[in-house]
Amino acid sequence: MKKTVLVSCLLAGLATSSAVVAQSEKAQIKQGGDLTLITKLVDAHVRNFNPYNDAVGQYYARDFMYETLWIPNIMHPDKPIPVLATSYDVAKDLKSVTFNLREGVKWSDGEEFTADDVVFTVELAKKFPAYNVQGVLWYDETSGEGNIASVEKLGKYQVRINLQKPNGLAYLGLGAMYPLPEHIWKDVKDPKNFRNENPVATGPFINVKRFTPSIIKVCRNENYWQQGKPYLDCLKFPQYSGNEQALAAAAKGRVDWLGVGLSDTKSYSKKSKDNKFWLSPGGNTNLQLNTTKAPFNNLEFRKAMSMAINRTDLVEFATFGLTTATKYPIGTGEFYKSWYNEENLAKYKYLMEYNPKAAMKILDDAGIKDIDGDGWRDNADGTPINFKISVPSGWTDWVNSVMQISENLQDIGINARAHTPDENAWFDAVPTGDFDAYIMWTHSNVVPWGTYNDMFNPKDMNPPKLSFQAMHQMRLPELMVELDKFTQTIDLDEQKALIGKVHEIVAENLPVISLFANPEWYEYSTRNITGWVTEENPYVRPMVHGGTPERWFHVLQLHQK
Amino acid sequence: MKFLLTRLGFYLSAFWVAITLNFFLPRWMPGDPATHLFVSLKGKMSPEALEAIKKAYGFDGSLWDQYLAYLGKIFSGDFGISTTNFPAPVSETLFYAAGWTLFLVGISIAICFVLGMMLGVKSAWRQGRFFDTFFTPFNVMLYAFTQPVVCLLLFYGFCIELEWFPLGRAHDPALDPGFTFEFIGNVAYHAVIPLLSLVVIGVGSWHLGMRNTMINLLNQDFITMARAKGLSQRRVMYRYAARNAILPQITSLALTFGYVLGGSFIAEYVFNYPGLGKFTLAAIQSRDYAFIQSQLLLVTVCVLVANIISDLLNLWLDPRLRYAGA
Repeated sequence: MKKTVLVSCLLAGLATSSAVVAQSEKAQIKQGGDLTLITKLVDAHVRNFNPYNDAVGQYYARDFMYETLWIPNIMHPDKPIPVLATSYDVAKDLKSVTFNLREGVKWSDGEEFTADDVVFTVELAKKFPAYNVQGVLWYDETSGEGNIASVEKLGKYQVRINLQKPNGLAYLGLGAMYPLPEHIWKDVKDPKNFRNENPVATGPFINVKRFTPSIIKVCRNENYWQQGKPYLDCLKFPQYSGNEQALAAAAKGRVDWLGVGLSDTKSYSKKSKDNKFWLSPGGNTNLQLNTTKAPFNNLEFRKAMSMAINRTDLVEFATFGLTTATKYPIGTGEFYKSWYNEENLAKYKYLMEYNPKAAMKILDDAGIKDIDGDGWRDNADGTPINFKISVPSGWTDWVNSVMQISENLQDIGINARAHTPDENAWFDAVPTGDFDAYIMWTHSNVVPWGTYNDMFNPKDMNPPKLSFQAMHQMRLPELMVELDKFTQTIDLDEQKALIGKVHEIVAENLPVISLFANPEWYEYSTRNITGWVTEENPYVRPMVHGGTPERWFHVLQLHQK
Repeated sequence: MKFLLTRLGFYLSAFWVAITLNFFLPRWMPGDPATHLFVSLKGKMSPEALEAIKKAYGFDGSLWDQYLAYLGKIFSGDFGISTTNFPAPVSETLFYAAGWTLFLVGISIAICFVLGMMLGVKSAWRQGRFFDTFFTPFNVMLYAFTQPVVCLLLFYGFCIELEWFPLGRAHDPALDPGFTFEFIGNVAYHAVIPLLSLVVIGVGSWHLGMRNTMINLLNQDFITMARAKGLSQRRVMYRYAARNAILPQITSLALTFGYVLGGSFIAEYVFNYPGLGKFTLAAIQSRDYAFIQSQLLLVTVCVLVANIISDLLNLWLDPRLRYAGA
């Protein structure tokens, strides 16, 4: 018996789900026109369409040229987007994943896309470990990392990937791969250094019409497998090296789709009624405290810290009103709001509310008072409390945040200061474990499992090889048990219950202090193009940068007004 | 001859010291290219991808081995692989940017020099009169303006508000580079505001330098004699005074040209001009060792060549040097 996930009549079903592209409108959709977009700020374009090249290739080659197998729709987890695979089966023992591939897809040189290409791509990752084939991690006996044991072709359009250890989440990573055409790439001797200047792919935009250091123009695949798509003729990627230049051009309507940091949303949108933006909540930002030493090893101290921080001011002023408040002290925020169990979490809400008086009372009760008479509180054993919260210089909103948090803490008698080293020095210092507190991002994944695993896996907690997410170094074995159970089921309700337990364990222990969710930058212009994701119709995540496979679906909905 | 040999020996050792520093300085900075990429993505890259990238960039062997390989590569003209544009060779973007920097900064220095000389001569000649009392302090004031202020004001005024000039770039991306009237015109149009911003800042120091040297000269006996001979004002001003006053200016011009390839980071950044300054700053931020050391190498070579030329000129102009110690 297999648990089968089948999405029938896939694309039509999705299209109706998104109001902008309702079937009735389809008749009037205009064909043609160009879309100008900025996927990455660069000083000069360099020709490289290798989809697994992290420095250059991924920004233009992925999603527009190379297509993935399966896109988990983070905005609507119940409506995933099938691409080159039409469905997948997870074996009942969770030890293999079978992908059923789409028939009738052709590579842009006319060759047919088949299971051989997928098998080839998976095996390529084994042959060249330094070549970062996304999502494809072979089991490595020495390190214990990775999980793929073997790959086999079951039919012309069916591939099974066998796993070393049972894992119900494996289909997510594997579905994210971009299959490569075997007949081209089998002759590539050194894939990581291959620049793939004339790509052969299955995607909607594949003809490189123009390439200069200041602009790339890629035009439609005439034989695209989705009839009548793409609606647009060409994508234009102009070169911009800085936010100011890119925003000045966007404000004048010369760029249709971009995702650069805004600090002044008003001046951008007042330039034209067509200048739109939507900043959805992304990954959560937390304070990571070094819980191996005093005072951070004291739960009462961490509680007081959390209550001393004025999060309304953080969101409104320090981060220019662009971030989203985090509701519960669980290390993750609105990005995963569909996973909340609001009933169980309500009792922890007080930890997120600004209440310096209560915070001071907690400290007094815990014996954290000014013992040596210097005006600052000291540990109960009399040793002074005096620490730094570090943030790289130049990360303006985070520097503001850390400065405000320090002031909030000083208000309740804690001697905390902001510390702003150079970005690279900051990075080098983290793994040593020699620090007090850091402000830190979290990883955004399809499901919260990855985010929590990165934060709590004890193998990442060993200085001097401490990982960024596990800097707090608080070992919570009971939490890891729930996370391990999570990988052994594909039942969503069961998964939600498990994450609910994880939430409570985090809220009870406060290994990190939750602050706010960073914005996902998304600006667009309705001057010439329509069909955009909007706050009212959020059919997929709207960002244009790499790492958002949903942009494949998004770009196929866009058309001329 | 001995003078020439000692100078040559000096240049060779200076070159060696410079290229050695070029190699070690970027590597002494904290961080490395792979971790920079990871940090800059703020959580959008998985730790597994970071490991793969570290493997891909693969700096083989110890620092010493890398240093020897680097020395070998310098003499074979191989600039190495860029990590920001991995795996493109550094030379691809380096020479593209060097061309535009030579154009922009080179022309701005030429304009500053000519304009500065003319203003300097005139204000020295009319010392204390209106031209001098107005333009000299005015130019010194402009010189004291910082470049970001001037660039941003010009960018905001002429490019964003008035829309007389384009927002940036070296030319319209729709045009193909070539020796056509249209392309050259377009390049000139795009260069106006960046050039203006560089000239506004740069002209003051040349003006002041020339004026001061010239004023010293005007008190010398040979000028008095030239005047006494009844030569025309013009002839005294240009043929006697200015000609002599310009000599030290030419030496410093040679040195300034040595730094052309340092680029002009601020103007290039504000106007999105594809020059070396901007590329180098980006390379430093992302710890692209190969690019940083190649750009430093270009500057080193240029400064040394400019020095050699000025030495040779001195040798030719000043016979005392030729016979010294012979």
